[in-house]
This record gives sequence, structure tokens and C-alpha cells, in this order.
Amino acid sequence: MQLIHSIQSEWLKTRRSLAAWLVIIGGFFIPGLQLIGRCVHHQQLGARMDDPRYWETFAGNNWQIMSLFLLPMGVVLAASLITQLEYRNNTWKQVHTTPQAFSTIFVSKLSVILTMMLQFMLLFNLGMFLAGILPSLLFSDVDLPKEKFPLRFFWDTSYNFFICSLPVIALQYLISLQFRNFMIPLGLGLGLVIAALIGAEWKHGYWIPYAYTPYNFFIMRGIKMQATQAVNIHHWALGYTLVFIVLAYILYIFKRDKG
Amino acid sequence: MSCIEINQLSHHYSRAEQVLKEVSLKVPEGSIYGFLGPNGAGKTTTLRLILGLLRQQSGEIKILGKPFAPHREALLSKIGSLIENPSVYAQLTAMENLKVWQKVYQCPSTRIEEVLDLVGLGHTGKKKAGQFSLGMKQRLGLAAALLHQPSILILDEPTNGLDPGGIVEMRELLKTLNRELGISILVSSHLLSEVEKLATHVGIIHLGQMLFEGTLDELKKRQQQSSGIQFDTGDGAKALQIIQSQHAAAKLENGQVSVPIHDRALIAELNRQLVQAGIPVYQIQAAQNDLETIFMNLIK
Repeated sequence: MQLIHSIQSEWLKTRRSLAAWLVIIGGFFIPGLQLIGRCVHHQQLGARMDDPRYWETFAGNNWQIMSLFLLPMGVVLAASLITQLEYRNNTWKQVHTTPQAFSTIFVSKLSVILTMMLQFMLLFNLGMFLAGILPSLLFSDVDLPKEKFPLRFFWDTSYNFFICSLPVIALQYLISLQFRNFMIPLGLGLGLVIAALIGAEWKHGYWIPYAYTPYNFFIMRGIKMQATQAVNIHHWALGYTLVFIVLAYILYIFKRDKG
Repeated sequence: MSCIEINQLSHHYSRAEQVLKEVSLKVPEGSIYGFLGPNGAGKTTTLRLILGLLRQQSGEIKILGKPFAPHREALLSKIGSLIENPSVYAQLTAMENLKVWQKVYQCPSTRIEEVLDLVGLGHTGKKKAGQFSLGMKQRLGLAAALLHQPSILILDEPTNGLDPGGIVEMRELLKTLNRELGISILVSSHLLSEVEKLATHVGIIHLGQMLFEGTLDELKKRQQQSSGIQFDTGDGAKALQIIQSQHAAAKLENGQVSVPIHDRALIAELNRQLVQAGIPVYQIQAAQNDLETIFMNLIK
């Protein structure tokens, strides 16, 4: 019961926070750009709406930009901003003098980050759906897509990207719990995202957890990479996540100064 | 009975820097305990250790008769605290800030308005806490500390950043909480004048060591004992000899002879004897004996 109250409390803190805005803006950013482009060039949409794989192609276009850079970067920012809320507002000491177990505080904060990730996925999918269908409703020369909305495909794709984001969330959570200075988790995160993009073609690229969302996109598009053929990146993502969370928990519990 | 009891508490941040040296203190239940010391004396470290914000290295901390570490959560539910700078979520309103803590403490939502009114922030409406003055943030911090109706309040320099009017209001509020609700208060300060007006008990710490602990009356008694008359003469050593022959407690301090007497006739008599002995007497004055001097003497 205490955990639920703690999560509710943590969720309230995200109200009007930068992380909360990031989730909303991040979720609608790419679909929003797609929608504007499709509205401006609606005359060229006719043939595309007849595509029997209309939704898969459209989702692929959206995920391409999102998975390569924006998603890992957004995860880095959001996970770091949640703990930064406490550092910036000087509130760790108040949190740690409430009658909650340290484990409860650790889990509730992580739960909020994961919930925000789910919220992002939901908004991104909603954005894609709206961007895919709105031109047909706004312009008479654009028919509705012939293909029925493939709910299962969208679910599976989001699920896989979510799994691939977990190690990034866990490592960023670990780092940001340890450092007051926001630039450290942000700098390390950005560095690792860039390293992942550079090292994506390396045959051992699966060692870099920040490369998993681009890898998932390549798998989605059927592009063969040495790293993705060598291992199951989803299993590696879950393994990394477990290791990072356990490590983050130990470091947090044994932190000498808690505020 | 003591609501907070610390025995032989020592702490160091690095091997070279011992911040607390076997500090012991007892905060009697129902008291306002003024924890006094200059900046860097170890007050905040002591309070952070009591609240479990720093890992205890040695010594013993008991709250309401129970050791803190094994009963941390149960004891924290009875403590309200305000340590150093106020803790407020800048993007939330005062009410939303308290809602965050209300969810954790699971106290009735009606408490939010009650404590906001109590600290004079009931009117802040939709204004974000980030736009508050330091004094308002401090009061919001106090409201958060009071939300769950604690039996102990631990406050670290709560008047920091308050204007003179705010300091008086805060003092009166703490006295009311103590008197009417029976809340025991441990309040740190580096201002003796502040503690003097508020506390029933005083602990003085300097360079990580407790120098005095007792009631305010005991501190004042010490003040009276150390009061007396100072003779500024041309020959301190010889003057001391003459005065000590009649008052063994006389002593030489900074070239002046201090005697713990107040009788005007005796003072005149001593003066006469000094003059008769050919010692020039330049000045006879009452020794500085206010609490400020006692404090300064203790931390010298």
C-alpha cells in the first residue's frame, strides 16, 4: 500500500515538470511533422492510401527518425530529469525523512519513469494513428487507408522498442541518482548515444545498450546487422536492465549522504 | 523523559576532518531545545544524523526511547523536519507541494489547508512555489513539517532568510506549537539572541564538541556567577594580591582583576586599599556578563 501512495506522490511531482512536457512533445513531435508534410502535399497521398501495407510503411517512417536518435536521447533526458527534480529543488532530504523505506522510494521513482515511457509510447502511437488518418478526413481528394489498422503490429513494435529502451532507462537512473550535477548523466547519456550510433555496425555492437533501439528498427525493416544476428538484443536488453537496476539499488541504498 | 537522546556521537566526512567529537545531548519531552553554535560547529551534521540523512559512524541515537536505525520509518512518522534550505518543488503551488507529502503521510487532505493557514500561506492560490520569497519557502517547508501532526519538530536555522517581522512570527508560531500542541522542538541557530527568546533548554556546540547543556535558567545562573566587578589598575599582579587576600575568587584577566562581588561598600573599600597601597586605579566597571559574553567565553 505504501508503494502505491509513494508512486502517487512521485507522480504529482512530475506535474508541469520538464520531463512531463518532454513526454508529450516527444510523443507528438515526429507524427506532428509527418501530419504537416502530408497535409501540405496531400495531392501526392492518393496512391499511398491504397498500399496494402500502408500502416506498416507509415509506422516505419516514424520509427526510423525516432529510434535512431530521438528515442534514446529522450529517454536519457527524461530519466535524468526525474531525479534532477529532487536535486534542483533541494528535496532529497525531505523525501528521505518521510516514513518510507529507501526501497520504496527507489522503486516508486523508477515506476514513474517507466510509466512516463509507457505514456510516451501511447502518445506516439496515437500521434501516428492521427497523422495517418487525418489527411483523409481533412481533404476530399485523399481516401481512407485501404488497410485495416494493424493494432497487433503497433503493439508488438512498441513493446519491442520499450524493451530496448529499458537498459538506457536503468543506466540513466543509476547515474542520475549518484550525481547532483545534471550535466553528468546528460553528458554520459549523449556520449553513449553517439558511441552507439558510431558502433552500430561493429560486430560486437550489442555490447552497447544504447544501440538497441536503432538495432530494433533495423530488425523491423529486415536490415541484417552482424550484431543483431549474433545475439537476441531483446534478451540482452533485459539482462542489462536487471544488472543496472540491481547496481543502481545497491549504490542508492549504500549512499552515505542522503540529502 | 527525553524525546531525543544522543550518546557519544562522532562523525567524520574524511579521515582528516572530524566534524563531531563524542557529542551527547538530551532533548526533554515538551521542551524547546535551542541547539546553538557558530557556523561550522556541527549543528547541521548532528541534525542530519538524527534524521538518518547521514550514515551513523559511531555513538547512539535514540528517539522516543527507541534506537533510530531499526525503527527508522515508525520514528520518522512522528518527526517533522526542516533542514537547511527549504525543500519545495518550484513548479508546483503551495497546495500541490503539500499534496505530494500528504500522499506519503496519508493524513487527511483537510490538513493541507489547516497548515497553510497556520503558516500564513493560505492565500497563495495558483502562485508557483518557485516564485515565493525565501521567507515564504521557509514557511512552506514548515507547513510540510507540520502536515502529519508530528510530536517532534527538528528545525535547522528556521529563521534564515526571514525579515524581522517574519522572525517574530516564526518564533511565536513555534512557541504556540510547543505550548498548545505539546510538540517538542529541537531548533538550531547561530544566533544566541534568537535562542534566548525561544528556548527552554540550550545545548552549545563548537568545533564538534558540546560545551554546555542545560536549561536556559542554568545558563543564566552561570551568567550571574561569572558577573562581578573589574579593576583596571596600574599593577594588575599587585592589585590581585591585595584583593585575593580578602576575596580568594578574584582572578587576573587581560591585566584586569575580576572579583565576583556586587556590594557597593565592598567595592569602595577595595578601591581605598588599592589607592593606599599606591596602585593607580584607572577604572572600576561591571564585568560584561550578558549571555553573548558567556557564549563567547565558552567557545573561546
